Amino acid sequence: MAETHQDSGGGGDIDLSQFYQIFFEEAGENLDLMETMLLNLNLETADDEELNGIFRCAHSVKGGAATFGFADVAELTHKMESLLDRLRRHELQPNAAMVDVLLESADASRSLLARHQTGDTSPAAPTGDLVMRIADLAAGNAPPPPVAKPVAAVVAAKPATPVVAGQRQLEIKVGPLAKPEQADAIAELFRDIPGLGTIHALSSDRKDYRVFAVDTASTDDDLLDLFTFHVSREQIEIRPAVVMSPVPVTPVEDASHGFFDGAPGAPEIATAPAAVEAGFGFFDGAPGAPVSAPEVSVVPVVEVQGVAKTVAKAAASQAAQPEAATIRVAISKVDQLINLVGELVITQAMLAQNSRALDPAVYQQLLTGLADLDRNTRDLQESVMSIRMIPMSIVFSRFPRMLRDLAGKLGKKVDFVTQGEATELDKGLVEKITDPLTHLVRNSCDHGIEMPADRLAAGKPETGTITLSASHQGGSIVIEVRDDGKGLSREKILKKAKERGMDVSDQMSDADVWGLIFAPGFSTADVVTDVSGRGVGMDVVKRNIAALNGTVEIDSAEGFGMRVAVRLPLTLAIMDGMSVGVGDEVYILPLSSVVESFQVKSDAVSTVGQGSQLVKVRDEYMPVIELEKVFQVPRFDFDKNSDIMVVVEADGSRVVLLVDELLGQQQVVVKNLESNYRKVPNVSGATILGDGKVALILDTGALVRRSRH
Amino acid sequence: MGMMEKMDELSATGAREYLTFRLDQEEYGIDILKVQEIRGYEPPTRVANAPNFIKGVVNLRGTIVPIVDMRLKFNCAKADYDSFTVVIILNLRHRIVGIVVDSVSDVMELPPEALKAAPDIESVIDSGAVMGLGSLGERMLILLDIERLMSAPDMGLVSSGE
Repeated sequence: MAETHQDSGGGGDIDLSQFYQIFFEEAGENLDLMETMLLNLNLETADDEELNGIFRCAHSVKGGAATFGFADVAELTHKMESLLDRLRRHELQPNAAMVDVLLESADASRSLLARHQTGDTSPAAPTGDLVMRIADLAAGNAPPPPVAKPVAAVVAAKPATPVVAGQRQLEIKVGPLAKPEQADAIAELFRDIPGLGTIHALSSDRKDYRVFAVDTASTDDDLLDLFTFHVSREQIEIRPAVVMSPVPVTPVEDASHGFFDGAPGAPEIATAPAAVEAGFGFFDGAPGAPVSAPEVSVVPVVEVQGVAKTVAKAAASQAAQPEAATIRVAISKVDQLINLVGELVITQAMLAQNSRALDPAVYQQLLTGLADLDRNTRDLQESVMSIRMIPMSIVFSRFPRMLRDLAGKLGKKVDFVTQGEATELDKGLVEKITDPLTHLVRNSCDHGIEMPADRLAAGKPETGTITLSASHQGGSIVIEVRDDGKGLSREKILKKAKERGMDVSDQMSDADVWGLIFAPGFSTADVVTDVSGRGVGMDVVKRNIAALNGTVEIDSAEGFGMRVAVRLPLTLAIMDGMSVGVGDEVYILPLSSVVESFQVKSDAVSTVGQGSQLVKVRDEYMPVIELEKVFQVPRFDFDKNSDIMVVVEADGSRVVLLVDELLGQQQVVVKNLESNYRKVPNVSGATILGDGKVALILDTGALVRRSRH
Repeated sequence: MGMMEKMDELSATGAREYLTFRLDQEEYGIDILKVQEIRGYEPPTRVANAPNFIKGVVNLRGTIVPIVDMRLKFNCAKADYDSFTVVIILNLRHRIVGIVVDSVSDVMELPPEALKAAPDIESVIDSGAVMGLGSLGERMLILLDIERLMSAPDMGLVSSGE
């Protein structure tokens, strides 16, 4: 937002609709960030920085909403902002009721924004009640908070003295400017906006700078917001003109708010780190400032610079998100880049192959060049692939809120711990993994963690812990959901399975027993709640994860907890494949579904009924699928035949595929066959082999289903 | 859209450029704007359960592109693959398709008056896909609505229901 509105500086008649999308994205991010900060907020030791951070989020959303004319959002966020403002000025002590109402308001803003985004014109959920509750809390009518002793300590450490800015005399330096006349527009602002104050130009020692003496009641931030209509933020320097005795406090705060309500997307307030330390905005540069920030040996000058902005921002987000400067790029552009690099890798492989026969003595330079090309293409491919990778924290961040609500509903006490949030995963996968993970975390909270009384009776701490962790293991990512709840009960599962007429025995291994809960419709919950227990779930989780070429493992100890580990490939675009030869053709099997392979004699295959073939592998009969027949592979060499069997597993069943030869394992880039052609039965996609040829990737799931009828 | 309307549309926009190619003894023309590029023939990867005129799929700089042999589609007497055999890569409404032809002749500009409506004759080509006949001296050019031809259900290039 900050960028767009700086770019639009000076022009009053720009088409705002082109910025809508950016606003919606930013507002969403701000609301998410605010929610995270609210949840992390420790009510008793809440410091200025946290409160300011939350305030900034509400402020940014409000500014944007007002600019784009979303009055309902602007009104709600304005109320939130007012409450937050009183909090950060320590006029009120934060309490749980406020956090609740703020979280609700964030949700309400989100749904209002969603309506604007989709152009939904149906009547919105009324926010009047929320607005009133916030106003009530802001007026201090809520039950008085607990004794504010710890806060007093904080305040003492960081004397946040003058709360309201009075009439101040400032010196504002603008520059360097290519056209110093631009700065004159600032002077006009003071003429045009009643109550802003007075301004008169001072002489400047440099030609490309303009200096003004300003007498105003507005804060530096409000002034900056206004000025950035005309000049960029980096070019403005505001400092108190003369240190004067504090002017009697006048409640000008509301008046100053009025000014930037209509400002385009009032950006995140940016100040120097010193200002952040001291407690933000309102008294930066105020007469009391030198006193208020004694621990910093910086002159009380608010110098707004790019660097300072970054520092302030980073400090505000509490290093939780290690994000530096980012750009938004359409995913299709990235995919195109990945495609092109893939192509480059193939070309490079071809060159390498063709140059192998060359005499190194004669073609030394060429060969060195090719070796460099080899290395560079690999590096390039790696970097390009990493563009699509986003940290797991994006997924994890939605759970604290969900668990908080869920635990509250169930009357349970749950701590949520996340590990490895920085682990990166392909964006496409992140979107698809969220729902299964949500289900697992819900399950842990609903079925795993016991009621506080039960936990105490079992000699466990009253508060249960759910841990969500992500880590890289080899070429895959492992996401674990752990809880220290009651774990799975072997007897209960076996009993349920027998009731359902499933084929089970008491001698089954633990792993096999746990596997039963993936059966469709299986639930061990005694009571069906509206959270879970209906038996739809684990099978869907497993199916969704299998569709991503991933696996699910369960580990459990009754009375001590349970662990569900989801293993996924790092990216959807690349898959570990096993290439098999049939006739003269090459097919790729997803390695994740290959169980084993072996050579058979033709007499090991027995025929049943209508020509269906079965093979006995150890103690199990498995259907045999001849790829040669399924894919009508022409045979030119009749001496060769399929005598290699590959056992593949999909959807919980196994089949044996009959192939001519195993060619090897390799990572393959998965391409869509349907973008230019159509769906081919038993084929999930295609890939390009090292020699530039296309090979089809088999859909093992479809092959398994085919064998069933 | 009837034949005459189509002709009217063409004449309204004036002369158009056509890429002409040979299939056996016949010469065809397609709208040059639908052509993305022309490549030599390389054996594609066969796709099971496809009609015989779909030779398979090839890798076109990272994109998987189906290849249709027009000679098999139009029941030509022979369909050899030699050094003149070329593949015309078409870009039809964001779908990319390659067609195999005997050879590409040239690009011609045809004024509207050189276009004649095709008489109703029995042919393997869906008559709606023939936009007309172009006469150029002694040569006769069969102008194809290649987009219509390729998206016809019997081409098997698009999944049914799409």
